[in-house]
Amino acid sequence: MTDITFYFIALSLCVFAFLTVVSRDVFHCAVWLALTLLSISGIYFYLGAGFLGVIQILVYVGGIITLFVFAIKLTAHIGDAAIRQTNEQVIPSGIVVLILFYFLIKIVVSSPWAKIDPQAPVLSLKELGASLMTTYLLPFEFISLLLLAVMVGAIVIGRVKK
Amino acid sequence: MVSVAHLIPLFPFLAFAANILFGRRLKSASAIVSVLASSISLVLSLIVFKGLLDGECSYLLGKWLTINDVSINFGVNVDALSVMMLLVVTIVGTLIEVYSIGYMRGDPRYSRYFAYISLFMASMLGLVLADNFLMVYIFWEGVGLCSYLLIAFWFERPAAAKAGLKAFVTTRIGDTGFLLGIFLLFLATKTLYFSDLSHLVPVPQNEWMLTAAALLIFCGAMGKSAQFPLHVWLPDAMEGPTAVSALIHAATMVAAGVYLVARTYSLFVLNSFCLETVAVIGGISALMAATMATVNNDIKRVLAYSTISQLGLMMLGLGLGGYTAGTFHLMTHAFFKALLFLCAGSVIHAVHTQDIQKMGGLLPKMKVTGITFIIGTLALAGVPPFAGFWSKDEILLKAFQSGHVVLFGVAVLTSFLTAFYMARLIFLVLFGKPRSDLPAHESPKTMTVPLMVLAFFAAFVGLLGSPATHHAFQGFVYFGVAPEGETHASNGIMLLSTAIGLLGISLAYLLYMAGHKILPVSVRARFAPLYRLLLNKYYVDEIYEAVLVRPCLKLCEFSSTFDRLVVDGLVNGVAQVMQWVSATLRPIQTGMVQNYLLIQVLGVILFILTVAGKICFRF
Amino acid sequence: MIPLNYFLILGAFLFCIGILGVLTRRNVVGILISIELILNAANINLVAFNKYLGTPDGLGQIFSLFVIAIAAAASVVGLVLVIAIYRNGKSVYADQYNLMKW
Repeated sequence: MTDITFYFIALSLCVFAFLTVVSRDVFHCAVWLALTLLSISGIYFYLGAGFLGVIQILVYVGGIITLFVFAIKLTAHIGDAAIRQTNEQVIPSGIVVLILFYFLIKIVVSSPWAKIDPQAPVLSLKELGASLMTTYLLPFEFISLLLLAVMVGAIVIGRVKK
Repeated sequence: MVSVAHLIPLFPFLAFAANILFGRRLKSASAIVSVLASSISLVLSLIVFKGLLDGECSYLLGKWLTINDVSINFGVNVDALSVMMLLVVTIVGTLIEVYSIGYMRGDPRYSRYFAYISLFMASMLGLVLADNFLMVYIFWEGVGLCSYLLIAFWFERPAAAKAGLKAFVTTRIGDTGFLLGIFLLFLATKTLYFSDLSHLVPVPQNEWMLTAAALLIFCGAMGKSAQFPLHVWLPDAMEGPTAVSALIHAATMVAAGVYLVARTYSLFVLNSFCLETVAVIGGISALMAATMATVNNDIKRVLAYSTISQLGLMMLGLGLGGYTAGTFHLMTHAFFKALLFLCAGSVIHAVHTQDIQKMGGLLPKMKVTGITFIIGTLALAGVPPFAGFWSKDEILLKAFQSGHVVLFGVAVLTSFLTAFYMARLIFLVLFGKPRSDLPAHESPKTMTVPLMVLAFFAAFVGLLGSPATHHAFQGFVYFGVAPEGETHASNGIMLLSTAIGLLGISLAYLLYMAGHKILPVSVRARFAPLYRLLLNKYYVDEIYEAVLVRPCLKLCEFSSTFDRLVVDGLVNGVAQVMQWVSATLRPIQTGMVQNYLLIQVLGVILFILTVAGKICFRF
Repeated sequence: MIPLNYFLILGAFLFCIGILGVLTRRNVVGILISIELILNAANINLVAFNKYLGTPDGLGQIFSLFVIAIAAAASVVGLVLVIAIYRNGKSVYADQYNLMKW
């Protein structure tokens, strides 16, 4: 993989992310979010985490975005377009976020991470699966419990009460 | 025998408790409880007297406080002086309680009255038996309290309530001096026991302390015995029931001051300045009060001024070295003054007025009261062979022997005035034509029998100190060494005092009887300014009011305003500040999560700075 | 080779964008979308570290997997709540949820 691929994906990622947060129409936000997530999966592929990239597309773009679109459509209003989408604290949060960004960059740049070479071996799916089922079994089980609880909770809260 | 002494105050105290707790159920039986208790105390006092004659003395009762290396214990001091006081207090007290049965009949707070009287008896007896200053002070306060309670017994009358307050505050001023004196004495000598006083040797370092202590203790005596300048409470105290006036303000409580001086005589003897102060104050009080009594028209107030005057004479006697003379007069005075007050009470009970200008010619209608009244007057005026003659004679003798011409003159003048105003009282009340329509009748037996018993004492108790009994009293109560070679009766002095007494009586006779040869009205007109001065009690009350009371009240007002504005203002101000702060800070809770999130992100930034601050700011 | 720094900076940028979205958007669904961005930024960091520093048993990827799962769960619950609130007559705009005001 060449470097140019990275720059291209990274740039489009930034653009899409920015568009996500500034769109007036929240449906557009969902669309831009989908594109952002796709770009991120591209980054994963570039970093050699193929499995993760696929999972990202499947779960995020396939499931979560669908969910968001449903939610948007279920809570839409006719007069939504006319109402402003940003609240009053735009300027203060802008300043705060800029400061935060500056500090984060500063820390990253000051650390000796620039000189490190990529050294991790690319794990095959089989090895990943094995490690998931052996070393990281406990979190795996917990996650499944969590997902179960979320499902039940969502059904309960989302019920239409007669 | 003597060891029953500590039971003597106990029985009246139990009577007090019984009457306070069960008074409502006992009703008129509460009187019996009190009289019974007092009688038991009387019998016990006689037993102690016998024991003392057999040669026993004081004993310890129990431990109380032990601080560092100083211990203060309860003890009972049994000696001649205390036994004499015990007998006087119990005899007079019991008779007055019997009198009160008739006098206070029908009063709604009957049992409360007897409860207070018993409490007073207990405190007075305890005071007399105490063997250290602290115990005396406790009972001193006790009698002061009872005096207040009993003066203001009919507290629905504002005059009575005010009089009670005045008595308490005035004696309090004296008590403060007393307490300071006790402190000073303790500081100087590290002891509070009376028995240690006689072994005092004044060292140049603490000599001023001992003198000051003696004077301060005398302050307390001045307060309780109503000497100038703390005499203002006693005339007003006549607002209380007459039996109370008889017991407390004639016979016993006011005598506590004289008793105190006698008890601490060793301390006074150390410095002649102290003794002189005692004598001078006594003399001033005696003369001042006697002059005020000559013009007063209230029967009880005349007797009150007479009490102040006689106490002054006692102080005079003590101050001039006459320990025996002063205490002798204390004993006789208790009897005939109580008698006089009870007679006055009987008269008031019959005619329902206290103004002697409205009375007159009561003798035919109230024979027993009248005759005992006359006996009491003769005793007070110092006519032989009645009691007052012997004791007053002792004092005059001591005054003459001491060489103080001025004080001797004061004593003589006071005796003359005493005879005069008492005779005036008799003539205006008992003799002559009735000046107004009076429903006079003799009092019931419960009132007249004590009168007769007291008259007996008033007539004959003085003989205990006379040549007839070979001066038995003087041989019993004395200071220091037994008086072997002193002269106790000088014929010249005896003649002089008899003459003065008769002179006073005759002057009164001329003014108030005898066909009105000299009219009192014309005398009054001639000396009008003097008359006004005397009638207004030398304006002492008004001076106190202006100089002491009003500034004090102003200070109180100022304190109250200060408290309201500054102190309350501060406290309320703190609350106000809190409210302002909270009102200012409250809008922080907008209820909008995104505001909170913003602050959280700021917090995260701060956290980053804390952890990696140096990296963040490296340029 | 792309230095590790670049990935981290990318992650930081995405993170800040996400925070900006959370703090400024009025529509609650929009806020939830921005939260997704934040979580993905963390994922990028994890995978980048996995590639460049080496982690035992592919921990970086596994961790990211779990993060994705949790993010999904979170957004599910969030969206369900939004729908429930919307059904109760309230709006979907965050600055109108101010019952907890003083």
